[in-house]
Amino acid sequence: MLKKYKPFLRAGAMDTMAYRFNILVWAVITVCQVACLVFLWLAVYRSSEGGIDAVIHGFTYREMISYVVLTTVFGFVTFNNDTLWNINTDIKKGTIGNYLIKPISYRGKFAATSLGSLLMMTLMFGVPLYTAALAVLGSLGFLPDLTFPAFFAHLALFLLSGLCASLLNDTIAYIFGVLCFYTSSGWGLNSLKETLVAFLSGTLLPLAFFPAGLREAVSIMPFAGMSQNPILILMMKYDLAESLRAVALTAAWIVALELFAKLLFSHAIRKVTVQGG
Amino acid sequence: MIEVKDLTKVFRKPIRGSGLSGMVKTLFSRKYEEVRAVDGISFTVPDGEIVGYIGPNGAGKSTTIKMMCGILTPTSGSILIDGTEPCRKRQQVAQHIGVVFGQKTQLWWDIPLIESFKVLKEIYQIPDADYRERMAFLGEVLDITRFLSQPVRTLSLGERMRADLAASMIHNPRILFLDEPTIGMDVLVKEKIRLAIHALNRTYGTTVVLTTHDMTDIEDLCSRIILLEKGKIIYDGPLTDLKKRFGNIKTLTLTVPAEVHAGTAPVLSPEVAVSEEDGRLVLRFDADRIPLEQVVQYAFRDLRAMDMKIAEISIGDVVKTILEQQEAEHAEKV
Repeated sequence: MLKKYKPFLRAGAMDTMAYRFNILVWAVITVCQVACLVFLWLAVYRSSEGGIDAVIHGFTYREMISYVVLTTVFGFVTFNNDTLWNINTDIKKGTIGNYLIKPISYRGKFAATSLGSLLMMTLMFGVPLYTAALAVLGSLGFLPDLTFPAFFAHLALFLLSGLCASLLNDTIAYIFGVLCFYTSSGWGLNSLKETLVAFLSGTLLPLAFFPAGLREAVSIMPFAGMSQNPILILMMKYDLAESLRAVALTAAWIVALELFAKLLFSHAIRKVTVQGG
Repeated sequence: MIEVKDLTKVFRKPIRGSGLSGMVKTLFSRKYEEVRAVDGISFTVPDGEIVGYIGPNGAGKSTTIKMMCGILTPTSGSILIDGTEPCRKRQQVAQHIGVVFGQKTQLWWDIPLIESFKVLKEIYQIPDADYRERMAFLGEVLDITRFLSQPVRTLSLGERMRADLAASMIHNPRILFLDEPTIGMDVLVKEKIRLAIHALNRTYGTTVVLTTHDMTDIEDLCSRIILLEKGKIIYDGPLTDLKKRFGNIKTLTLTVPAEVHAGTAPVLSPEVAVSEEDGRLVLRFDADRIPLEQVVQYAFRDLRAMDMKIAEISIGDVVKTILEQQEAEHAEKV
């Protein structure tokens, strides 16, 4: 049954290859952003009461810089996702019909494409970028001792949580994409989704910096699993039990949101009014 | 087999005011207008039949097709494709039907045509042997082998349409829905497409539902037509019966000497309508009421015809007449 999604997996990977120059430009911009963030955090720590060696919300400046660098690399490799835009285009141009007349699930098509894209991004950019980041941060003494076998278990869990994060991101993008059936416009929905995810996933700021009430609420939401948790797993800030719990929570959210997406789609599909005739 | 029962599709369209003030108003109060695109139609298509689904623009043809292949959900009524409801079990139905929308391509635009077929092979899980056999068959009847390695965007409209047809048939569907497959094609391509549909129907017993505005398509292909107007079926039956409804109408076009005119010519019978077109006389009559032989004699003897052409009423004329009658009835009611 899954074999029929193979062409979409391949297409996702091939598209990523095709846009590798775009992605390179994007990489340069991202490096500049990281540099800014690093200097920003250095300034924050220097001017704090405890000075450069202060521990703010459980983070030393070394950990904070590692966190910023790694979340940026993570976001760059993991969230290469066109699902929302592609659904929006399918609805606007009526090309959704081309998929509805085929014996495949519309959701499955996007999941396969995103997975293909994730695999290609990880091979092309993920492996070299993570290796470089870990080597540099490690040699500067910014990371705890990255020795085997303890780190190995964390690395494995990190890869698993990265896969979960990518799937979850695709599920959320798909849900917002399906909402385009109702709004007929993806622009606002995309901004809403991007903002929500960037803020609540801890990409901008670790969730430890949030006020207590909000932090509690966000910790049971799916978003932390999309950025903060995988990175804290990799940095070994979470022990193995915490790591497993975090991955399990994300997996549970994927199941729940997929079910919701299925219901939403079967309602939205009644709204389809393919233009012409 | 296709079974359609009391099928209705109502679209809700927001009524928008005109101009800027109208647009602002619709932001706050939205009124909807209901459009009954398809209005309680029922029909059955047995296996192996080629049905022409015809009617003017906006009659609801495409809407019906989209409901039959599971893209649109009916407002009420039911559709069964080989016993399965397409809007409930879309994927299951999709495995056994093929669809072509003449206005849109379903091929992947930037990749060579052959790659599109390979993708379809995987999506439909077509076994290798079947795939090779179908490609050989389609390559021959649709003549697509020559441009298989070209990206779809470089194909001419005629080539693209043949490719689209081949793509819709690659998985050996039991039922084929063709929504205006000959639109914008030249005569030769149209001919090829018709031959391919015939070959497919004969070789594999594929059921075909076809919408078109080209009456030659209908006369060449369809044993049965369903005529749709404003969402309702106004005729469903064999092509020959539709013509008979208007009697055995024939027209004789005569080349006559310059001094013979419609108004002054001797009259044979009130059954024969005489008119003048481009300096020729045109006689229209029902051959069941007045023998053709008698009219021909009259034409040569009384009208001194030098040449003549005998034609049956075309299906185009029939459809036009029915639609005009419908319009007139509507006008009377209003």
